[in-house]
Amino acid sequence: HQSRCGGTAGGMGLEPEPLFQAWSYFRRRKFRQCSDLCSQLLEGPSGEQAAWSLKTRALTEMVYVDEIDMDQEEIAEMVLDENAIAQVARPGTSLKLPGTSQGGGPSPAVRPVTQSGRPITGFVRPSTQSGRPSTMEQAINTPLTARPITSASGRYIRLGTASMITNPDGPFINLSRLNLAKYAQKPKLAKALFEYIFHHENDVKNALHLAALATEHAQFKDWWWKVQIGKCYYRLGLYREAEKQFKSALKQQDMVDTVLYLAKVYLRLDQPVTALNLFKQGLDRFPGEVTLICGIARIHEEMSNISSAAEYYKDVLKQDNTHVEAIACIGSNHFYSDQPEIALRFYRRLLQMGVYNCQLFNNLGLCCFYAQQYDMTLSSFERALFLAENEEETADVWYNLGHVAVGVGDLSLAYQCFKLTLVNNNDCAEAYNNLAVLEMRKGHIEQARALLQTASSLAPHMYEPHFNFAVLSEKVGDLQRSYTAAQKSEEAFPGHVDTQQLIKQLKQHFAML
Amino acid sequence: PELPVLERKNWLIYLLYVRRDYDECKALIKEQLQESHGLCEYAVYVQALIFRLEGKIQESLELFQTCSILNPRSTDNLKQVARSLFLLGKHKAAIEVYNEAAKLDEKDWEISHNLGVCYMYLKHFNKARDQLNNALELSRHDLTYMMLGKIHLLEGEMEKAIEVYKKAVEFSPENADLLTTLGLLYLQLGDYQKAFEHLGNALTYDPGNYKATLAAGSMMQAHGDFDVALSKYRVIASTVPESPPLWNNIGMCFFGKKKYVAAISCLKRANYLAPFDWKILYNLGLVHLTMQQYASAFHFLSAAINFQPKMGELYMLLAVALTNLEDIENAKLSYEQAVALDKCNPLVNLNYAVLLYNQGDKKGALCQYQEMEKKVNALKESSTLDFDPEMVEVAQKLGAALQVGESLVWTKSSKESKSKQKAALSGKSSSTQQPLGSNQALGQAMSSAAGYGKTMQLPSGAGAPAPLAKSPSLPLEPEPGSEMSPEETSAPAAAE
Repeated sequence: HQSRCGGTAGGMGLEPEPLFQAWSYFRRRKFRQCSDLCSQLLEGPSGEQAAWSLKTRALTEMVYVDEIDMDQEEIAEMVLDENAIAQVARPGTSLKLPGTSQGGGPSPAVRPVTQSGRPITGFVRPSTQSGRPSTMEQAINTPLTARPITSASGRYIRLGTASMITNPDGPFINLSRLNLAKYAQKPKLAKALFEYIFHHENDVKNALHLAALATEHAQFKDWWWKVQIGKCYYRLGLYREAEKQFKSALKQQDMVDTVLYLAKVYLRLDQPVTALNLFKQGLDRFPGEVTLICGIARIHEEMSNISSAAEYYKDVLKQDNTHVEAIACIGSNHFYSDQPEIALRFYRRLLQMGVYNCQLFNNLGLCCFYAQQYDMTLSSFERALFLAENEEETADVWYNLGHVAVGVGDLSLAYQCFKLTLVNNNDCAEAYNNLAVLEMRKGHIEQARALLQTASSLAPHMYEPHFNFAVLSEKVGDLQRSYTAAQKSEEAFPGHVDTQQLIKQLKQHFAML
Repeated sequence: PELPVLERKNWLIYLLYVRRDYDECKALIKEQLQESHGLCEYAVYVQALIFRLEGKIQESLELFQTCSILNPRSTDNLKQVARSLFLLGKHKAAIEVYNEAAKLDEKDWEISHNLGVCYMYLKHFNKARDQLNNALELSRHDLTYMMLGKIHLLEGEMEKAIEVYKKAVEFSPENADLLTTLGLLYLQLGDYQKAFEHLGNALTYDPGNYKATLAAGSMMQAHGDFDVALSKYRVIASTVPESPPLWNNIGMCFFGKKKYVAAISCLKRANYLAPFDWKILYNLGLVHLTMQQYASAFHFLSAAINFQPKMGELYMLLAVALTNLEDIENAKLSYEQAVALDKCNPLVNLNYAVLLYNQGDKKGALCQYQEMEKKVNALKESSTLDFDPEMVEVAQKLGAALQVGESLVWTKSSKESKSKQKAALSGKSSSTQQPLGSNQALGQAMSSAAGYGKTMQLPSGAGAPAPLAKSPSLPLEPEPGSEMSPEETSAPAAAE
């Protein structure tokens, strides 16, 4: 049956026209075929602008990453760049002071923290910052963002070069030969070309040049070009100029994108309250827009105001009940506030939606264990181990399995699990700490001491190794080390009652004659 | 030109130091030392004291050594050197220096006291005791009493420790720490009246005292005043929000008020904060048995057994859970273990007897029943414990079923027992063997176990074979591993 149909089509010579075919490929997001076909077309009678433009668009779409979610601060920008106006901002008005606004979230004794007081999030975005280093040295020594950190704008470069590799005959367009002024006269070509230059080649300077010429040609009446210029400025680090462009674009046309870009600028300038106001204005224009509500929630989360973040994430779910980020964040929030059963429901929702990865099964396993659903626990962890893509993920799963083993009371199994964590990820400070606790229970004080020292040097922001070391030293009688460790512990978690009691006790020892 | 007087500004240094104006004091000391080319003994001395207050013991040790070189005849300098050594954990060296200081001055209580403490760290308890008694003879101090009491406790002599603390309280009746410790010791001995008195005194002097509040609350719990205990706990819950013993006690308060779900959530929070604490696990197991969630109960109880293998009641509860999970063989093994470990709790034997009876093993049941009778009689002679009425009832039913019930004389309910027995008998005749086997009967046995648990207080010392649950407030010193890291790196659920 099928073969006959094909036969007739071929027989009648209804071969679709190549340009139409390429266009159809493009619409079906088959960019590779589209680009190949366009290349053939371009080899023929040269100068066909349609094919040329189509090919630029196909190439761009292959590597396209939404600019809004691309927010990576590099070491240099974090440490050397001083864009914030207020150096010592009031608590609750800045992203740089973690843990200032205690919004009733769980304390570090319950919820683990990333860097000095920021609770770990339920969802890792490329722009997740979680604390910032204060010196260059510290920045080089510690991992901070969701991806391996680079010294300056490395990720953009990597994207650009990656796309170069896919073109064996060299770049499609030679930017230096292009007469940008000429292209700027033709808006239809110019837009595609700009996107190519910006997203594919990552040549911000030329892109800006083209955009400037084009917006002039459009007599500053096209909001799209303004937004693009703003994007270029933002990448170049000229935040105030970017802000101007975005604001002017917003005046012309209300767009969700523009609001998001402007909020990004404000966040980079460390003005979360302005960004929040902006989001709220945006919500007046676009009631119930998910990305805007989600943006508000993210800001609250960044400011460690977990409870109001959860409120906004709930609003997100009212609009879009399959929003992965909102579900994950609310789930982890419930888990750390003594409600593992509810967290389990949220994570199962994710599973029903078809998310299938190591982290989800890891979280499911933990929730099952703490919600006392013992039949699902170990199988979830097994699947997480099976799905783990790299050694860090394997290490995390083994670490959690160690916790399960402690909960069951099987300390030798727990010991093995923590050891395996370390085998997979040698820098896991939590595992070092927990191993030390197990050693301490066995009475091996020297091992425990060494492990705790490793843990506290790997993760100076965790209070547990410091505190455990202080207690251990106090027991042996070495009060000086105990005091220094206790001080570090207090720095990491100022509200810890046991640390305070220990310090008080040590100070009495020191003051006594 | 007059020669510079070395000690010219000592009064000012002293004044600044006493006013805690350390910055200015340091500046003045620097000036003095420059002027006197480092020979001003007092300036060095105060500098060392400031270093010590800042926690820099090593530096202070060096400076005190300089002092004792400048003035080798001074006891003070030697004492300070020894003190710094002690703070660094070098106890043997400290003892040597203290001995030298003692040669210079024999009538100094501090030297004796510190020697005692050093010996205590080195575990030479006899010498330590002698030195501390010596210190007390020279001059009495609260701290010396504390240390002496601690040594007695370390050696396991509770009575002597109480004597020491009694004297200490007589000497300084307003020291809340001493009062609390004495109260806790009485609590461990089961002398509730005195314990309450002392803890109450401690709370009048220091209303926010965490330990005393916890202990007082647990005593109220023991007598069933759950609401009062809860209000006590509420006072300290805001200051100590992450204390496992506190949450454990709150959970058991709710358990007593039959608010089981609240109890479980409190206990689980406690367990999250202290995963190694067997008391919390025990209580969780107990609550889950009461809720008839046997799988969870088994889980928590077996975890508790892993942390505390030498306790009969744990095995008994585990066996009850196993019986309900239809694993009779293991339940029997567990009962065997419980009977072997337990010496004074009749419930173990009663529950075992019920199981055996339900399995049709009347002979074994009779044997266990007799064991239980022995224990009951022994308990009746030794103390005035009230038996839980539910336990009595089940025992009588069983006794009737086994036709041996008459011989047992219970403390209180002996008068009613006959009528009840009749009822039990009639019930039995109508439906053979059923009444005991049902979940109901076992549930009763369990809840009586809970009631039994409520009436007992636990001693702090590890390994003491005595009873149950709740109120682990007592530890006189924090357990070594009590503060474990509670963090779960639940790896962030990244998007796809």
